Amino acid sequence: MALTSIYVISDTAAAFPELCAGAKQLAGSVTAIVFGDLAAAEAAAGCGADRILFCPVSDAGSPEDYAAAIAAEVKKDASAYVIVNNTILGRAIAGKVGVYLDAAVFSNVSELAEENGRLAFSRTVYGGAAARRIAFTTPYGVVTVGGGTFEMGAPLPATTQIAQIEGEPAAPLNRISRDEKRETAVNLTAARRIVDVGRGLAKEEDLEICRKLASVLDAEVGCSRPVAENNKWLPKNVYMGITGVQVKPDLLLAIGLSGQIQHIGGINKSRFIVAVNKDKSAPIFKSADFGLVGDLYKVLPLLIEKLS
Amino acid sequence: MKIVACCKVVPDEELIQVLSSRELSLDGVPAKISQYDLNALEAGKKLSAGAGNTLTALSIGGKTFLEPTKIRKDILSRGADDLKLVIDDSVTFDDSLQTARAIAAAVREIGDADLILCGTGSSDLYAQVTGIQVGALLGYPTVNNVTDIRVVDAGTVEVERTLENSVETFSVPLPAVLSVSSEINTPGVPAMRDIMRAGKKPVAVLAAPGDNAASADILSQLAPEQQERRQEIIEGDNEEAVDKLVAFLRKEVL
Repeated sequence: MALTSIYVISDTAAAFPELCAGAKQLAGSVTAIVFGDLAAAEAAAGCGADRILFCPVSDAGSPEDYAAAIAAEVKKDASAYVIVNNTILGRAIAGKVGVYLDAAVFSNVSELAEENGRLAFSRTVYGGAAARRIAFTTPYGVVTVGGGTFEMGAPLPATTQIAQIEGEPAAPLNRISRDEKRETAVNLTAARRIVDVGRGLAKEEDLEICRKLASVLDAEVGCSRPVAENNKWLPKNVYMGITGVQVKPDLLLAIGLSGQIQHIGGINKSRFIVAVNKDKSAPIFKSADFGLVGDLYKVLPLLIEKLS
Repeated sequence: MKIVACCKVVPDEELIQVLSSRELSLDGVPAKISQYDLNALEAGKKLSAGAGNTLTALSIGGKTFLEPTKIRKDILSRGADDLKLVIDDSVTFDDSLQTARAIAAAVREIGDADLILCGTGSSDLYAQVTGIQVGALLGYPTVNNVTDIRVVDAGTVEVERTLENSVETFSVPLPAVLSVSSEINTPGVPAMRDIMRAGKKPVAVLAAPGDNAASADILSQLAPEQQERRQEIIEGDNEEAVDKLVAFLRKEVL
């Protein structure tokens, strides 16, 4: 028995095909909510949804201003679930829509399935210590889903059922400026090899040896939470962990990394994990395929030389 | 300005024991202030500096977390003038809306708050939507992932939100609910003086909302299956050891 109705909401057009493919496997009717004008909705017509509703966000407006209108639309079904892409804006939309539907929001869920007529899913809790299996008990429910959660289906015919959402933005936020970020975006989720820097590194300048190693390995450089958040040696978007980026490279080379549970939760889908740490009892070695118990300041120069 | 900073008390996830059944044992696991709520407390401390401003810390949860004086003092040593608690063992606070309802009710009871601050997400559940839900429940403007807050006048703040690829600035009328990013500040370590003073600050327990049903059932909670790793560990940082590492890399990856 499939679910009756799922609404897919995304603040980025690129997320629709995967989310709609996943929703279509779960529910009889899938509605995509697109932020933009009719042209944007038409551009998304082939995303796999049965129908598309578009919210014509003005230049000064923000997608979450449409949360009440979206919830009113969802409530036209006696029971329905809402899947939102797991971005910062996606979670802002999800949180508001959830309140207007009188439902909780569960973020970054996976393994979505229909169970006894309800939407069930898994999510990581306690910083990676456990996975919870959860099922909604309310007629409506909201989840956010990250990229790579659903299998892409066969391409579906483009829908012609496109309409503007009823209702207007309510209590809109007043944005006074918007700037593109200047820092270069590193996409660790797509990286095949990653040098993962931990707090065993003595000082910021020593990042240079790690960058050198990454360069000979054709790898990206990432790190653990304290290196980004406490030391601020690397940007926050390259720290891996349950609360950071979750990666799945062929090789993850952990340098001076202790292996706290919340970090392991972000790297344990790597094909091979190799660790260098002078502390023999560091938990990272339990999660490593190959480990070297030794001083990274002796190991790295030798390693770079041999790999060059 | 009257500021309320929300902070959750959670079990220290690094010290949770996994049983052979893969279930978790939370017995005796020490409690801590949720990591990212330290940023909310710190933001509140900075904004409340100066005459006429007050900072109230607000925490919601069960008895085991909120009754010990140690954790209460810990919260109060981080800049708040007083601590308000909602202690409710009838609710598990396993979903964002239950927590948001309790926070919203507490904020109403506290009264006249201009600014409610939350962290990005709690260390235990990391829902990352509770602050937004509090804002929507109260009907206040609400912004998440806030990386800067500037007070414009008694009724307005300018708020910076950092998205994945852009940075936005909003003019936000008060009262408002803001969820701050961990990038907004670096929480300070309380000085001995602050710890001493914390014990003398007022603590009040507020009523919990009567009707606060969960939106979902927890079907199971298990530690992830240990992924098989080869754990070929060798000791040494000489040339011989590095040769073995290189041999492994060449065979398996390169």
